[in-house]
Amino acid sequence: MNALRHAFRSLRREWRLPELRTLVAALLLAVLALGTVGTLSSRVERAVLMSAAEVIGGDMGVNAATPLPDAFVARARALGLETSHLANFPSVAFANQRSQLLEVVAADAHWPLRGKLTILGARGNDVDAHAPSQGEVYLDHRALVALGLRLGDRVQLGGRDLRITAQLQREPDGGDLFALAPRAVMALADAQAAGLLGTGSRAHHRLLVGGEPSRVEAYRAWAKANLPSDADLVTPQEVQQRLRVAFDRAGAFLRLSALLAALLAGIAIALAARRYAWRKLDEVALLRALGASRGFTFGGLLLTLLVPAVLAAAIGACLAVGLAAAAFVFAHDLLPPAARQVPLPIGPAVAAAGIGLAVLIGFALPPLVRLAEVPPVAVFRRIWTRAPRRFDVLYLLPLGVALALIALESGSWKLAGVLSASLLGAALASMALAFGLLWLIRKYAARLHPSLRLGASALTRRRLLSLVQACAISLGLTALLMLAVIAPSLLDNWRRELPSDAPNWFVVNVQDAQRAPVLDALQRLGATRLNSLPVAVGKLTAINGVPVDKLDPGDRHARETADRQLRLSWSEQLPPANRIIAGRWFAASPPQPEVSIDKMWAETFDLHLGDTLGFQVGERSLTARVTSIREVDWSSFNVNFFLLLDPAHARTLPHDWIASFHLPRGHSRALAAFSRDYPNLSLIDVDELLDRVREIVAQVTGAARWVLGFSLLAGALVLAAALTASAAERRQEAALLRTLGARRGQLVLSALCEFALLGLIAGATALFGAAAGGAWLATSVFRIHDFVEPWGALAIAAVVAAAVVTALGLTGTRRVLRTSPLLILRRA
Amino acid sequence: MYDGIQDSIQLLSAQGVGKYVEGPGGRLDILDDVSLDVNAGETVAITGASGSGKTTLLGILAGLDVPSTGSVRLDGQALETLDEEARAALRRRLVGFVFQSFHLLPALTAEENVLLPLELEGARDALPRAREALAAVGLRKRGAHYPHQLSGGEQQRVALARAFVHAPRILFADEPTGNLDRHTGKTIADLLFDLNRQHRTTLVVVTHDAELAGRCLHAYEIVEGRLA
Repeated sequence: MNALRHAFRSLRREWRLPELRTLVAALLLAVLALGTVGTLSSRVERAVLMSAAEVIGGDMGVNAATPLPDAFVARARALGLETSHLANFPSVAFANQRSQLLEVVAADAHWPLRGKLTILGARGNDVDAHAPSQGEVYLDHRALVALGLRLGDRVQLGGRDLRITAQLQREPDGGDLFALAPRAVMALADAQAAGLLGTGSRAHHRLLVGGEPSRVEAYRAWAKANLPSDADLVTPQEVQQRLRVAFDRAGAFLRLSALLAALLAGIAIALAARRYAWRKLDEVALLRALGASRGFTFGGLLLTLLVPAVLAAAIGACLAVGLAAAAFVFAHDLLPPAARQVPLPIGPAVAAAGIGLAVLIGFALPPLVRLAEVPPVAVFRRIWTRAPRRFDVLYLLPLGVALALIALESGSWKLAGVLSASLLGAALASMALAFGLLWLIRKYAARLHPSLRLGASALTRRRLLSLVQACAISLGLTALLMLAVIAPSLLDNWRRELPSDAPNWFVVNVQDAQRAPVLDALQRLGATRLNSLPVAVGKLTAINGVPVDKLDPGDRHARETADRQLRLSWSEQLPPANRIIAGRWFAASPPQPEVSIDKMWAETFDLHLGDTLGFQVGERSLTARVTSIREVDWSSFNVNFFLLLDPAHARTLPHDWIASFHLPRGHSRALAAFSRDYPNLSLIDVDELLDRVREIVAQVTGAARWVLGFSLLAGALVLAAALTASAAERRQEAALLRTLGARRGQLVLSALCEFALLGLIAGATALFGAAAGGAWLATSVFRIHDFVEPWGALAIAAVVAAAVVTALGLTGTRRVLRTSPLLILRRA
Repeated sequence: MYDGIQDSIQLLSAQGVGKYVEGPGGRLDILDDVSLDVNAGETVAITGASGSGKTTLLGILAGLDVPSTGSVRLDGQALETLDEEARAALRRRLVGFVFQSFHLLPALTAEENVLLPLELEGARDALPRAREALAAVGLRKRGAHYPHQLSGGEQQRVALARAFVHAPRILFADEPTGNLDRHTGKTIADLLFDLNRQHRTTLVVVTHDAELAGRCLHAYEIVEGRLA
């Protein structure tokens, strides 16, 4: 006989069973939660990467110190990708008997492939443009002022006579934050003809490619394998570190929420499967008595669950895609324009269906395997003999599936560890608490009111089930409290990290003499959070007395960092968003120069406390000892430096200043006059970058509400599944008590006592479990150091939750109390 | 006078069968040194008070359980030497059951319940045979009904149809009339012996009903786990 046919026959009537319905609902919910979050976060990630692509100017780039081999362009074209070539180099421009060092971008006509190159239009408005044609050049405001030029004038650059056709407003990457020189954009062909890119030039070359994501990925793989030693890849994932950090946090939060929903669904599935197995015991015993093989019995049972499960998973996946699409429609205005064209990915929803089925098998398999082992002799007497010990190992399966799921979804072992530990902690705590309470009840039950005694003894009589129930409800409630109370609190704390008055402008190149009037002028404009720091530009000359050109750092990144110009600063106080992780902050007047270095810098050069670094700043040289190592929060939007010197020794170094401030949007126009008064200064608007981070936070908050809804439903399912697990037995007992003359009030009181105790255990465990989990997440994952535990809200939520458990339990028994005991006995 | 037919070939033999379990109060003997032989076609009754061990003996004779001591041979095969899967295969081929509480699968219709043993065997003409078997117990028109739509007597008739449908060599019946009123019980017992005669099946009935036991060729009484 075909096990599938048997499964279908059974299902025809059994699909109405509460256990199967719970199981299907739980699976549907798990797939829906995982699928919606997967689809949304995949799409948002693509959107973030596209924003980053705009900054690069293409979907990815290859940077090199020398022109790239032709094969790089040929390969890109073979893959059907667009290409654009550009080079950066410093060059001196001449006009009106004046000269000025410019930072030049020479690009072909396709640049930029992504993002915007903005020039000032004839009517003073911003216009999108591509690189200039041959014989033309765009200069920025500073260059025009420095050379005393206007649009239409001519300028000598690299020996070519070029006509200024536009004022450069903004490059795709927003320009270098710390650019020392004014900027110019010219045609690549002019630069090549002028010999500016030949051997020995200081030009850095970049090849940009753009096109279909899969083809870009193929190109990336190829380019990585064929990369010359002096070249490296620039991908959206590597740039925009701030956006990335924000996205990583957002992704972690969303995945965490979906994961909890899926695990809760797993608990509901386990309880439902256990109940289902108990219900099928007679049938399995009969089939075995009639000679059905173990394989047939087990296959039939598995198929009975899998057939509706596959359907539920498929429906869940479709709903997930639909829900994600709907969420995307509502969030349309929040998204950057480029992201609106991102197609809806279906991969995550399919993966969610697969994960959902894995959860089902992982959580439902142990009772089914055990059921298939029921001896045929059970057909005479309803027994469930002890299964052979070899099956005990199967109970590790849900644990294994849960751990694998946590690791897979969190994408981080750290997050997986935190989550597993807090769930396990909650489980163990609830077990211990439940065990203790049950012990107390058993000890003192005899002295209680008869109805209370009945209720309490109902819990102790089904001790194992009571423990499982308490544990499951506690886990469900812990997850609910974490999502309902802790998560919004975490989000709130996180949002507070990006205050609305975060610095949104930087002004660089402020000369020492300009500092006081500039700060004064900014204050008059209404700037707040005004902060200025000195910047000295120098080079690293030696590490521990060994000149850097004698060092051979194997790491190319270290070599490049050592070659590059360094920005050094100094401050008497430890700047905000900096934390000392080793050593101590500077004393007032140290006898020898001291330096505090960023953790990443320490790792790059393998530096330790006590090591010495030699610097050359202008004509001055300085050797400083490393006295502290800092961890810098680079996402804080403060002005941060890798290297901070002690002020006593650094003060006399040649330097200028960088200032950051917040200016409300409406006031930005006033900066135009300020900019005219101080033409040598560069103003950098970081509002746009901040806007994107805020958009992501808003998207995450919106999406979290959806996911929160799923988890609440999954939690309710766990409660329902746990309560129905003992419902049949409870109904029978109540009916028996009624036939023995128990009053309805007595039964109500007894049930009230039983569920109130269960609610008390679950509420108390969830309260402490969620508080501990929240504290752990805040410090370990979200890096919020001043997280305030919402004790009041937690306590109220725990009390409400306990009351809900009690109310649900009472509702479940209400039917029993209304039904005639005779009927119940007949049914039993 | 007994109902039934007999051949002289030995189909079932129990020698020195004992069954005990380890309980909280030490070893508990359920069966002790039970020996009996049943020839093909015979009808055998096993009687005894509640808790005397008669259902345990039936389970062991039918290969649903194995004895702690002694040996049971069914169709020449020593059951205690076979593993559970091999015993299942033997039951599929040789054995039919009728239970006190009917044991129909609630999710299957009457017809599908009767089909079960045939389908487990992989029989090709399962459906006509199942319908024929249902007709033989007078339930031709109730095939599409689910167990909860049938009375107790009707459910036991479906169980009889299921027991005989694959023409087992031996049928074990555990208190087949125990859950039925006297009149219905008699009808079922008549049907059981009629079908037994038609199919030339060997019948082993566990019962405390003296009238039912009296219709069998042999009757064994068990008292505290031993044959009296």
